[in-house]
Amino acid sequence: MKIEGTHVFNGPREDVWEMFYDPNVLASALPGAQKMEMVNEDEFKFDMNVRVGPVSGAFSGELQLDNVVKPDSLTLKGGGKGAPGFLNGVGNIKFKEQEDGTTLMEYEGEVNIGGALASVGQRMIDSVAKSMIRTGFETLDKALAARLATKETGAESVEFKAPTEAQFAKEVAKDMVKMENWSAETKLILYIVPVIAVIILLAVILNSCGA
Amino acid sequence: MAEKYVGKSIKRNEDRRLLTGNSTFIDDINLPGMLHVAIKRSDFAHAKINKIDVEKAKALPGVVAVYTADDLGDYWRPGPLQVPPPSVIKGAIFNARPLECIAKNKIRFSGEPVAVVVAEDRYIAEDALDLIDLDVEILPYVGDLEKTVAPDAPLIHEDLESNLAADVVQEVGSWEKAVAEADVVVKKRLLVNRVAGAALENRGIVVNWDANLNLLTVWATTQGPIPMRNSIAKYLGLLENQVRLINPAIGGGFGPKIMSSQIDDVVIPWIAMKLKRPIKWVEDRRENFLGTTSERDQLHYAEIALKKDGTILGVKDVFYHNTGAYNPYGMTVPLNTQAHTVSNYRVPNFLTEIKMVFTNQMVVTPVRGAGRPQGVFVMERLLDAAAEELGMDKAEIRRINLLQPEDFPLRSGIIGQDFVEGVLDSGNYPYALEQTLEKIEYEKFKKEIQPKARAEGKYKGIGIAMFTEGTAVGPYEGCKVMVGVTGKVSVVTAYSNQGQGHYTTFAQIAADNLGVKVTDVDVVTGDSGQWSWGVGAFASRGITLVGTAIHNASLKVREKALNLASKLLETPVDELEMEDSVVRVADIPEKFISLGDLAMRSNPTRGTVEPGMEPGLEAASYYGPPHGATGFGSLGMIVEVDPETGKINIERIVITDDCGQPVNPMVVDGQIHGGLQMGIGEAFYENLVYDDYGQLVTASFMDYLFPQATDMPDKFEIIHSQTKSPLNPLGIKGVGEAGAIAPPACMMQAFEDALGLKDMFITESSINPSKLYHYVQKAKGA
Repeated sequence: MKIEGTHVFNGPREDVWEMFYDPNVLASALPGAQKMEMVNEDEFKFDMNVRVGPVSGAFSGELQLDNVVKPDSLTLKGGGKGAPGFLNGVGNIKFKEQEDGTTLMEYEGEVNIGGALASVGQRMIDSVAKSMIRTGFETLDKALAARLATKETGAESVEFKAPTEAQFAKEVAKDMVKMENWSAETKLILYIVPVIAVIILLAVILNSCGA
Repeated sequence: MAEKYVGKSIKRNEDRRLLTGNSTFIDDINLPGMLHVAIKRSDFAHAKINKIDVEKAKALPGVVAVYTADDLGDYWRPGPLQVPPPSVIKGAIFNARPLECIAKNKIRFSGEPVAVVVAEDRYIAEDALDLIDLDVEILPYVGDLEKTVAPDAPLIHEDLESNLAADVVQEVGSWEKAVAEADVVVKKRLLVNRVAGAALENRGIVVNWDANLNLLTVWATTQGPIPMRNSIAKYLGLLENQVRLINPAIGGGFGPKIMSSQIDDVVIPWIAMKLKRPIKWVEDRRENFLGTTSERDQLHYAEIALKKDGTILGVKDVFYHNTGAYNPYGMTVPLNTQAHTVSNYRVPNFLTEIKMVFTNQMVVTPVRGAGRPQGVFVMERLLDAAAEELGMDKAEIRRINLLQPEDFPLRSGIIGQDFVEGVLDSGNYPYALEQTLEKIEYEKFKKEIQPKARAEGKYKGIGIAMFTEGTAVGPYEGCKVMVGVTGKVSVVTAYSNQGQGHYTTFAQIAADNLGVKVTDVDVVTGDSGQWSWGVGAFASRGITLVGTAIHNASLKVREKALNLASKLLETPVDELEMEDSVVRVADIPEKFISLGDLAMRSNPTRGTVEPGMEPGLEAASYYGPPHGATGFGSLGMIVEVDPETGKINIERIVITDDCGQPVNPMVVDGQIHGGLQMGIGEAFYENLVYDDYGQLVTASFMDYLFPQATDMPDKFEIIHSQTKSPLNPLGIKGVGEAGAIAPPACMMQAFEDALGLKDMFITESSINPSKLYHYVQKAKGA
């Protein structure tokens, strides 16, 4: 299924792009990430834990980075599998400078989810994905603000806290309650691709930096 | 004369043991040293297998063995086909692709088995599944019924030219002629969704190999114990009687449990012999959704040609039938559709074509209804559309086209699932229609109730639909009836029981013929160690085929008992009567001999054997009908719809059903209740949904919805019509699927009637509040 979305980062494009290359930020923005390593240039392996309702377990997979045009755009291809099933996806991400000094991130892609994640976790995927995206972006927004503040003041670094697993679970629960009131069609708008795009992006950058 | 049991609603013999928890179901069977199996199923819908790495799984403590297709060597084979190709139909194309018990080189649907883990307990076996690494090359998924036969579609079976599984055309009269003579031709594109059998108890198998006795004992939840026994014996190189297949108590079948040649019956017995340990596998619910067959899923391009006065001149129906990744069950389902499309009406010209297609989805085999609901849905929807076109009443257009009592028996010209031309043996369709209309107060509803409700802002509608139910098809069933020395009667058959009430209904027939209490008749079903012949529980055929065999066998035993009593009592047979478990002289009640004593005396002692003697008060009998017996009926429903929310309320359900002579009307009612609830589920709740990648996204009861008791009306109003079948001595027809056939057609009509929107026509057999809301919005032009 095809997915698209946008997010506005409150900062210039170069800073946003650079932020994505800060492993400390990105590790904390990615719920469940365990390990990420570069196997080749623009090729990565990752391990993460996934929990969607009753379906949970370890996932491992590979990512490829393509068409990298710094600081403008990139394409992500990848997928993973594990006890809960598998996922495969392709995503395109663009960063656009806005007149007001903010950066518009546009993402679109296609993803295929299989196994128990799809057959049993189906009704939870929307909520979990939505929460992952939202908390992910919230974390990144805070990180960006912290980085910009650091840049301005010249201070060493500003601490920010990524959400704990418990906080994340609470967010998922909140999102599920909200979605109860949505029409089935609205629910069908899947959030999983942006989630993957974000996860992958974060993970990739985190590790390309670390390596 | 003692009271007869046939036709009486007596309580069920089996209920005490079921209700007190004293029945043994498959998971209750535990043998010393038993190992447990878990099955690794593919998450991918279409893929080439590169490698299956099971080493980590094998290394897990407690795992005894892990097998893939390669480990099976020459034992691995597809199939066999469970139902032969329809070669009897002229011009039929059938590309046989029987089921693969475990995927070898290629995966063709998500849920297909790829490996089997055997472990000391099920927990370990399940854990080991996670350690199996399945390396595949993912291939493009095909699930759309039309696109799958497009020239550029990826091939599911590469050795075929296309994904066309079969093509069967049958024509009676000439559709072209009907069109030429017609005043109006109405065309519709109609969709029928996919549903699960979803029995309360999932499938399961326990196998024990006794190398000393050379006996393989198999307990299985199969609906076809003898064919499964024969298949297991053949492939393991055993004699049939070296495999004893036993049905334990079974918690529902509904069709899918008829399938064999699957991993459970092919691979697990092989493992039991190889490891020399008892093996158990019991399916869990998600696995049932992914690993057990399901049904419906057709797309119809249907047309009806009529005269201005509503007289039908002809019907044309070209339909795609999804068989899933393989077609092991032949063409039973789509042939049933062909046989049940026009079967209530006088349709002089009928053209019907099946395009059976392969997709990367679960294999399709019968689920209660088995093709019948599709045919009925198409015809009833066409009549509704035609009635709208001609400005006719929905009941009237049916009334003027129904077959009349004098039309029977009627040769249909359509070859059915039993490969013989359909013959409608008997019926009174106008009676069935009028009974329902009268009971549901059709005229009063239309003239008074509906307008009054509408004035109060309530949207109430009525639906009326006709159906036939082809039942009791061949080939045959059989049984053995014996009087024991206690005077109690044993009835033994290999027919399978999943809760139909056989322990009572079969006993009623034997009890009547042998003059014993129904509680003194012990019925054994589904045990090949006790009775070796038969076919299986499908097509609502148990009571007619086994019941008739029991009737005939018990009459033979009666004759034996009377002849022996005649000798012992020195009285002619025609002066004897048989009741209260004795044979007595009619005029001298104190002169009698008990059935138990007769049984004792029927087993000759030394020096008393005469030439040609057959010991025992025992007889076997087989019954195979020339063709099926056709039940029929009409269904009426009143529903209220909220156009703003799509919420519905079923206010009344009236069904008139004719299954010939009911053996136990209470049991018949139970079948109709369950059938109706299943049909309502199909129409408004239950739906198996695959996503764009072939993932079944409704593999739990959170997403696959059942209608609840609270969704049902206060009562089902059932009228029994009785047109006895001329085909068998008791005049019986089947009833197992009757209730499930007409609800989708009837409900869609009722929804439309309730909303009263011009141009609102529901083209799907399954909708839900959301879809209903959209139909309303579309009709309003919103």
